[in-house]
Order: sequence, then C-alpha cells, then structure tokens
Amino acid sequence: MNLKILKFTLNGEPIEITVSPDDMLVDVLRDKLELTGTKKGCGKGECGACTVIINGEAVNSCLVPAMKTMGANVETIEGIGSPEKFHPVQEAFMDLGAIQCGFCTPGMIMSAKALLDKTTSPTSKEIKRSLSGNICRCTGYVKIEEAVQAAAEKMREKQ
Amino acid sequence: MKEYKVIGQSVRRLDAVEKATGTAGFTSDMKLPGMLYGKVLRSPHPHARIVGIDTSEAEKLPGVKAVATYKNTPRELFNTSATMTFTVPPMLPVLDQYIFDNVVRYVGDEVAAVAATSEKIAEAALGLIKVEYELLPAVYDPKEALTPGAPVIHESEKKNIPGEIIQIPYGDVDKGFTESDIIIEKEFKLPVQKQAQMETQAAVAQVGLDGKITVWSTTQTPHPTKMILSKVFSIPESKIRVLNPPYIGGGFGVRIGCSAKAEPIAVALSMLAKKPVKVVYSRKEDFIASDTRHGGYVSVKLGAKKDGAFHAMYLKATLNGGAYCSFSVETPGVLGCMGLAVYRVPNQLYYGHSVYTNTTPAGAMRGFGNPQAMYAIESVVDMMAEKLGMDPLKLRLKNIMQVGDPWVLPYRCGSTGLAECIEKGAKSIGWENRGKLNKPGARKLRGIGMGVGTHVSNAWPFCGDYDNAYITVQQDGSVHLASGVPDMGTGTSTSLPQLVAEVVGVGLDQVSMTFADTASTPFDIGSHASRTLYAAGTAVVEAARDVRKQVLEYAADLFKVAPERLVLQDGVISAASQDAGAVGDNCSGAPVCKIGGVEKKSITLKELAYDAHLRNKQFIGVGRIVPDNAPPWHAHFAEVEVDTELCQVRVLKVAAVHDVGKAIHPVICEGQIEGGVLQGIGYALSEEIKYDEKGRQLENSFHKYMLLTADDVPEIEAMLVESNDPTGPFGAKGVGECGLVPTAPAIVNAIYDATGIRFYEIPVTEEKIFKALKEHVK
Amino acid sequence: MLQDYLFPETISEAVSFLQNNEGQARIIAGGTDLLLDIPEGKVKTNCLVDINRISELKKITMEDGVIYIGAAVTHNQVAGSELIQEKAAALACAASCVGSHQVRNSATVAGNVCNAQPAADTAVALVALGATVEIATPDGTQYALVEKTYAGVGKSTIDSTCQLVTRVSFPAARKNQGTAFVRLHQRNALALPMLNVAVMVELAGGRFKWARICMAPVGPGPMRALSAEQALKDAEITPEVIEKASRAVLEHANPRNSALRGSKEYRTSVLPVLVRRALEQAVANAGGTCN
Ligand code: FES
Ligand code: FES
Repeated sequence: MNLKILKFTLNGEPIEITVSPDDMLVDVLRDKLELTGTKKGCGKGECGACTVIINGEAVNSCLVPAMKTMGANVETIEGIGSPEKFHPVQEAFMDLGAIQCGFCTPGMIMSAKALLDKTTSPTSKEIKRSLSGNICRCTGYVKIEEAVQAAAEKMREKQ
Repeated sequence: MKEYKVIGQSVRRLDAVEKATGTAGFTSDMKLPGMLYGKVLRSPHPHARIVGIDTSEAEKLPGVKAVATYKNTPRELFNTSATMTFTVPPMLPVLDQYIFDNVVRYVGDEVAAVAATSEKIAEAALGLIKVEYELLPAVYDPKEALTPGAPVIHESEKKNIPGEIIQIPYGDVDKGFTESDIIIEKEFKLPVQKQAQMETQAAVAQVGLDGKITVWSTTQTPHPTKMILSKVFSIPESKIRVLNPPYIGGGFGVRIGCSAKAEPIAVALSMLAKKPVKVVYSRKEDFIASDTRHGGYVSVKLGAKKDGAFHAMYLKATLNGGAYCSFSVETPGVLGCMGLAVYRVPNQLYYGHSVYTNTTPAGAMRGFGNPQAMYAIESVVDMMAEKLGMDPLKLRLKNIMQVGDPWVLPYRCGSTGLAECIEKGAKSIGWENRGKLNKPGARKLRGIGMGVGTHVSNAWPFCGDYDNAYITVQQDGSVHLASGVPDMGTGTSTSLPQLVAEVVGVGLDQVSMTFADTASTPFDIGSHASRTLYAAGTAVVEAARDVRKQVLEYAADLFKVAPERLVLQDGVISAASQDAGAVGDNCSGAPVCKIGGVEKKSITLKELAYDAHLRNKQFIGVGRIVPDNAPPWHAHFAEVEVDTELCQVRVLKVAAVHDVGKAIHPVICEGQIEGGVLQGIGYALSEEIKYDEKGRQLENSFHKYMLLTADDVPEIEAMLVESNDPTGPFGAKGVGECGLVPTAPAIVNAIYDATGIRFYEIPVTEEKIFKALKEHVK
Repeated sequence: MLQDYLFPETISEAVSFLQNNEGQARIIAGGTDLLLDIPEGKVKTNCLVDINRISELKKITMEDGVIYIGAAVTHNQVAGSELIQEKAAALACAASCVGSHQVRNSATVAGNVCNAQPAADTAVALVALGATVEIATPDGTQYALVEKTYAGVGKSTIDSTCQLVTRVSFPAARKNQGTAFVRLHQRNALALPMLNVAVMVELAGGRFKWARICMAPVGPGPMRALSAEQALKDAEITPEVIEKASRAVLEHANPRNSALRGSKEYRTSVLPVLVRRALEQAVANAGGTCN
C-alpha cells in the first residue's frame, strides 16, 4: 500500500500523519488520532454522527477521504470547547435538555456550530435544514432546535 | 404540598458535560491493548441448511486470528433476550437458537465470524469462507405460517408458535356481546418498525487466562446479560463481568438481553483468539439482524350500549415473531393486558401469540405491544363514537378506567390523570374546531384526531422484577450510589442521584453514581419497561432512607437526642426546627453535639462521616425491593393535512399530554415524550421494513428507512400531568415508552376526520392513500 | 485498491493525471457517491484525482447572460448563490433538496450530472434550463447538452477515467422567463425523490412563448416532456391549458414500480399534479399569472 503524508490543521494544531489513500477521515480521527468524540453511526453519509467542520463547512467525515483534507482546517467536537470555556452551543445543549443518549450529540453540535458561525440569527427553517442530516432518534429534535436558538441568542449578545 | 429541594428540578444532566464534549464512553469507541476486530458472515438466504462450510482460506489470510462457526462454538440453546433469565414458572423461557447453527432462518442470520487485526482484514476474510447451502422453503407472513403445510422453522415447534398462547378472560364476553346494542369488529395490519438507535449493536470481550470474562457492551441489561453468557458458555456468573462503558447510544428495547448477538460472538471469538475482540455491527447488520418491533395483525370487536357504555371487547393478536423467539411471548402478553386496561369493559377476552416466520426476529421495542393494541382499539373507539353519534372525546371520558376500578391486571389502578390529560390536549389542539377546518372543494384537507392509552411502570407481572441499590457515605461525607441499571439516554444517571440527594438531604453535587456494571453494582433487571425511575428508583429511595437513618442514629448519639429529632438538610445535621429553642438534653436551648472537643448546634455530614471513619464505621444504605406497579396515562391529539392530489399526509401538530405521576426531572420527561412522539409519527406514516420475494429486508439503511429528520418535525407540545401515584418514588410512574403509545391512532383518526377514509393498515404511506382515495371516489 | 491520491493544480494537469493512469484513475470532487461505490466494488480505481485545488473550477460566474458553474462547486454553494436564486430558481431549489446539509456541502452539481442517476435533482433542473457541460479531454475541449450525456441508468457518455467536466453552463433567465422545481419525497431530507420536475418558461403577453419541462425518474435519465412543451407553445396562460399540458407529460413518462418509492400507477397519477404546480410556479417566477 502506498502510504501518504497528510498535513492539515486539526482544532488549531498542525497535524502530520501517515495515511493510506483509501482511509476515510472519520477513521483517521477515531482510530489513528484517538479522537473518538466524532461518532460513526452508518459510515455512509446517512446519519451525520461523524459531522466535522472542514474549512467552515459541516461535512460527513465518513465520506471524506482523509487525503482530501490536505492543507485544510478541520474542527472536531474535541476542539470547540471544554469545561473551562464551553462553546455556547455546548452550553445550550447541556442546559436545555438537547442531549439524551449523546451519540448524535457531537455531530449535532458541529452542525449547529457551522450554522451559527455563518449566521447568529437563523430562522427555525434554517436550523431544521442545517440539522436535517443529523439523525437523532432520542429527542424528537424539539429541544435541539430550542438549544440552537438559545445559543444563537447568546452569540448575538456577545457580538 | 411538600416543597422539594432537588426533585422536580430540571437540573443540568450529570452526563451532559461528557456527552457535549465528545468524551463520554461508548462501546464502539473502545480500544484495548492487542484488541482484534470481529466481523460476522450472514446468510443471504431466508431459510437454508448449511451442507458445507470451508473456512481454511479465511484462516490463512494474514492477520486473521480466529474463525468461529457452529463447529467450534458452544452448542447451548439460548435466547438472546433477557426473558431467558426471568421468565417465572409455570411459564418457561423459549430457547431456540445457538450462537451459530447449521440451519439459517432469515436473511442476515449468523453463519460464521472472524477475528482479525483490522476490520478490513476481517471483512476480507469473510469473503474467503465458502458455504454451501441447501435451500429450504420460507414463509414471511404470520398468518401463512399458521396454515397447515407451511414450512416449519423450528423442529421443536411444529405449529410455528413460540411458547405460550396468551389468553385473558374477564367477565363473560359472549354474554357481553349479546347484551350490546352496537358491535364493531375490525382487523388491523401492523408494520415492522425498527428501533434505529444511533449506536449500533456492539460488544468488546476480554477473556482472561484465569478464565474470567469481561464484556463491555451496549446492553440495556448488564446483569441479565451476564446470566445469559454464563449459561451459553457454562462459566459461573461470578467470573463474568458485563458493563456499559458507561453509556449506550440509545436502545428503545433493541438490547434487552444481548445486543443482538454481539456479546456471545465477541466472547466466542475472544476465547478462540485469546485476545480481546470488538464486534460492532454495521448499520445494515443492525437493521437486518437485530430485533424489530412485532408486526402482524390485531383485531378488535367492541360492543357498546346505546348510551355509549362499553360492554364487551374481544381483542386478538397474531404477531410476526420472526425467525427466533426474543420477546415473542411477553409482547402479545403486554399487548393484551394494556389493551384491556384502558377502558372499563365488564366483559373482555384477549387471545394472542406470535408466529415464527423467516424474517428478522422481533423483540422489544418501546411500547412493547401497546402501540399495536392502541392503534387498533383507538381506531375502533372512534368508529364506535361515529356510530353512536357521540363526540369521540366524550365517549372516551365516559368509559376510561378510574382509580380503584376492577381490571384485568394483578395490581391496583392507584392513580389516573387521564381525564386531565384529555382536557389539556383538547384545549391545545383546538378540539372544538374538529370538522370545521375545511372549505368545500379544498384539495388539502385538514383533520383532528385523538388517542389515549396506559402502560406499565415495570416488567412485573410479565416477568420477574426486583431491584437493589446501595449507597455509601464516603469518608468526606459525599454520597455514592451503586445501581445496576444502565442509562441509555433516558437520564437515569441524573434522576436517580436526584432521588438520593432529596432523600438523604445533601446537594446533588455531593452525589455520584456507578451504574450498569455487574461487578460493582447489585442485581437489577435493566433499563426497560419504563421501569428505571419507578423500580430502580424505589430501591434507591429505600437505600437512601436506610443510609439517612444510619447517619441520624449516629448523630443522635453525638447530640444525645432521639434520631427523630434531628434533620439532615443540605448536608448539615441539626435539631429539627420545632426543636430549636425547646428544652434540650443539656437544658440550654437547641441540642448541641460535641465533636473534636467543640460544641456545635449543627454538624456537617462531612464532619460526621469523618468522625465515624475515625471510629471505624461507614454508613452503607441498602435498598432491596420488589416493586408494585402503576399505570401511567396519556392522551395524544394530532392535527394533520392531507394533500389529496399528491396523496401525502403532513402532521401539523401533536399535543401529547402524559400523566407521569410526579416529574422528578420535568425536562427529561418532556424529552422522553417528544422523542416518543416522533417515533409514533413515523410508526403511523412512514416507518416500515418490508421484504422482497427472496426474504430480503428492503429498508436496511437510514437512507431507505423513513424515520423523521429534523426537517420533518411538526409542532410537538409535550405536557405533564402529575397524579402522584401512591406506589412510585415521590409519586412517579413510568414515562419512557409512553410517548408513542397513542400517537398512531391520533394521526389515523385525524386522517379520517380530514378525508372520511379509515386506514386499517399502517404506515399510511402515499401508496395507501392513493389506493384508498381511488376506492373512495368510486 | 486505491494506491494514490493526486492534487492537480490545473485542468490540463488533471487530464494528464487521468491519462497517465490509463483508465484506472477517477476524478473526485465531492466524492459523496464515489466513496460509496468504491467499497461496494461498483467503481474500480487505483487513484483519485482531486480537482478541488483548481481554482477556476470553484467559481460561479456570469458572462454575457450565460451562467457558468465550475465542476468543484457544491450543491450548497449553488443553492445559496444569489445569482442562481435569481436567474435559475429551479436549480437553486433542486440543489437544496439533495441528500442532507452535509452532503450538499461536499457533493458537486457537476458530479451529480456525471454520476448519471436517473433522478439526479440538479441534472433535472439543468436539463430544463437547457444546460451544457464543458468537458476537457486529451483531444481538447468538448461540449454536450446535459440532456445528451445520459447513456442509460447510471451510465454517462462522459468517461470520467479520461475526461473531466470543467463546468456547466446555461443562459440566465431573462425578464419574462421563469423556472421552477418541485419534488415529491417521503421526507424532507435524506431521501431520493419519488418524482421531481423542473420547468422553464418564457411568457409574452399572457401567452407561453415556449416551455421546457423535464421530469424524473420516469426513464433512464431526466426526460423531456416534448408533447406537453409543444402544447404550451404560444398557448394562452390559463388553468385549462396548464392542466392539459400537465396531463400530456405522461406520453413521455414511464415510471417503474418501486417497492421503496411508489408504484408505477401512483407515480403516473401524481406526475401531472407536480408538473402543474411547477408550471404555475414558473409562470409566477416569470412575473406572469395563471388567473
Ligand atoms: S457515520 Fe458518517 S454520516 Fe453516518
Ligand atoms: S440523543 Fe440519542 S440519538 Fe440524539
């Protein structure tokens, strides 16, 4: 197998790693870099559990060859906030009951963050559309949408 | 009303931080030193005998460490579901499968498994296993499988009926129908719904050289799963540890017992390879080879008097159990009992059972037979209302069960807030507008409908149910709870600590919980049957009372007063408030205690626990309970819009009102309801696994299986009613499953209101509306 | 087995990478279809040629009334482009219906055409818009109508082992022209269409000057409803005319029975409804009314 050197920025840090051309980003993140916050619910682009942000856009990392991220800026759930300083989306998800089993949560939060990075006054329809590739079987999405609205409001206040 | 400090508050969930940061542990994230990856070879045929299997090429592939087939794995018959461990005599558990067999009975059935150093190698090795099949005749429909001459799926069950037929007689049903003025009888057809929880079935097994086995898995029932593995592998239960790591990506009933066969296959491979083995089902495997909801047929015959009083009901269920028995005896049992428990009907009979077919095994899914029953019953109740010329809401109010009414269940109807649920829901949906929503000639028709139901708050009387918990006060006064019950997302690991904090009298931040681990928690039958808060919670409350009693007794010694005169609140022990200023034992106002040579009016639990520690004592509270049972109640109201040109239904709103007894954490209750409602809408309109003529599951991926996305959510208004059940912890009753029990009938009744067409089969897809509209016009 | 992953910086470099690999290499832009096909063995390739570094392929531009969409432009970029929303509403709408938000952030419109699936939403819109693809080949640039690139279900006349679609172009809608896209699906995301219809019309003085109607999946690729188009030519804009034309589309529609996405009978019966709704929308989009 022809291994390749992949360089990209991951959560603000430069990364250099050897990958095979057929490695998918989700597997490189989870298995090689041991960042298991990014989940795998289908491996086929049908559930959004593996959502990460590449150059500002939410994508399914199970459909991205790792090599495609060469030189790109990749954000995962591990990089957006921590107990010292949570991202407003994380904060709202925690406080408004948007988390149940938590398996969809990292992907859901990444999709929401990508949306709010673009606009802090999304309409309900925009939120629904932006999250429609993230399946959540637990919550019924009601509290998730509420949380995204609340996070947007927080971010607006800060602006 | 008593003021509570911790319960009733929607605090931030204790698992929130880990889950929001991606650090929460799930089985599919695990990695152990030397761990191998297991993959399963599955049958492409619905029914076949394996006449030859050659694994030699697969074994030769570099990186392959073990290949398991029926030839080198235990030949112990078992049942992947927890029924194997708590079916109470005279009923016997149905044991009808091996880890691998030389007969395959559905598309997806396990043929062999490989453990290799990577998933890719394991996958490649599967392709090198040569299997020769002799095809056998197959049958997919339960009614067909009952006909003489139908293929026999298990030699031990010539009639294709797994286990007992459930019969529940009550009153005299024949006489009841004779005395009825109006009788309606209808049969309904039900789809196969899938739990489609986000984390697929997964297990990691580690077999030590000392013979001890540790299994991390997605099971909803670690303790019963330990018992199943012990039987299958003939290893003492004391040497097996089953645990969640500690989270599970959803369940909805799909892993009550083993996680399909992930645990036994991982253990078998680990024994052969002598290394830890991880088995994670692909999404397709999860769809085709793990339990589904039971589809099949339910028929209702309802008799009423002219004034609308229900007088007789005959309920019958023929469910599709699939190729192996999981919960195929208990599901028709719950279906019947719940179906007969909603209304006061003096004469009733239920007859129901499952049937083996060559389809994916059906097992537990949220609601457990109850949504099947209520779709049929609530449809017929609406039909009855129309025949009687009565408002269906009023007809229900007239007939619903009241506290203390006699019923078929072996426990009391001790509380009901159903009337209040109905009233609130009707208001929210605008029931008074029913029938006035459409202009003549409109192509999009709107309608309103309702449905009601009840459920259980634990698994008894359908199987054994008892629970245990213990609570230790740590040496610094913080409090630790050990409960065997998992948290599959339903919030157990928050609500149970809330109970502890409330009862003991400490802040929630002082409480932590170990759960879902057979090695460090006492026996519990798991998270299912809407029982976690009710049954495990009852054990937790008992343990908390016990530990509090010990603490106060110890403190009483220091204060030199009777323990009853002391209170423990916010982590501080002092004399009860009415005592303040009263004559104390030291004759100088409030009692004081002497600790470390200092006299104090109050003492913290921290100080007390350390004092006890120095005097060689720990406070350990134990809860050992056999739960009663209690009926949660619910009413759903739906408004729909039917596009008669495109033959599509859109749900505009669902008002879901639930009597939860007492909401320990209201936001968690609402979340359970909202999630349930969405699954209920899917059940009514779009979710279904169908089979092609070769027995293959047509819907085997998220892309094909039409559960609802964020962009499909209607307005959902979840409302809580608190009837304070006398048996539950602080009055609480079950919630988890209830959210989808009456959703489908509310929607189907709303479609009828909109179009005048009644659907006797769900999901009400475009295709069905198209056919019905064509018929209707004729 | 994939052995290599290349990043050409220019179109000609991309084409020469394809040539060097003698039919074994494949272009990757979004990759959302390709990466499902490779593990399933539907596509055999040893090398992926990633065109996302070729800056000229990443743009949406308009020149002389013609809109150009580069091959690396994603669905969401198209759906969110004000230019497309204004001058090719049908395409913006079609692009916003595909897969999910994440898929639309990766998947490209050109890729949707190359993959040649019968119901590809943007391809259906592009056919209605009369779009052309520009193809770089070892023998120079070629052009083809999107409509003509279908060589059967899932088969394209564009040979992606040696040719590269560089951009898709179509005339921007002028005043008096309108477009619309309607889609029938079982849910609002993550669903293939049961049916989709795109139309473009030009109006003049209360009449249709012409109309282009494209629909799928009712044949091997996006299908034009030629007789309906004929019926609309110079016809007065009335509900009756639209109704009649909508029924006429069935002459060119042959939907299959699908256990997942509706029977032939059902789809046949609702197709005219979708066409009618699309025509009504397109007329409104063109600034007209149908009474
Ligand atoms: S795992 Fe990537 S979309 Fe499901
Ligand atoms: S919280 Fe469980 S899938 Fe979303």
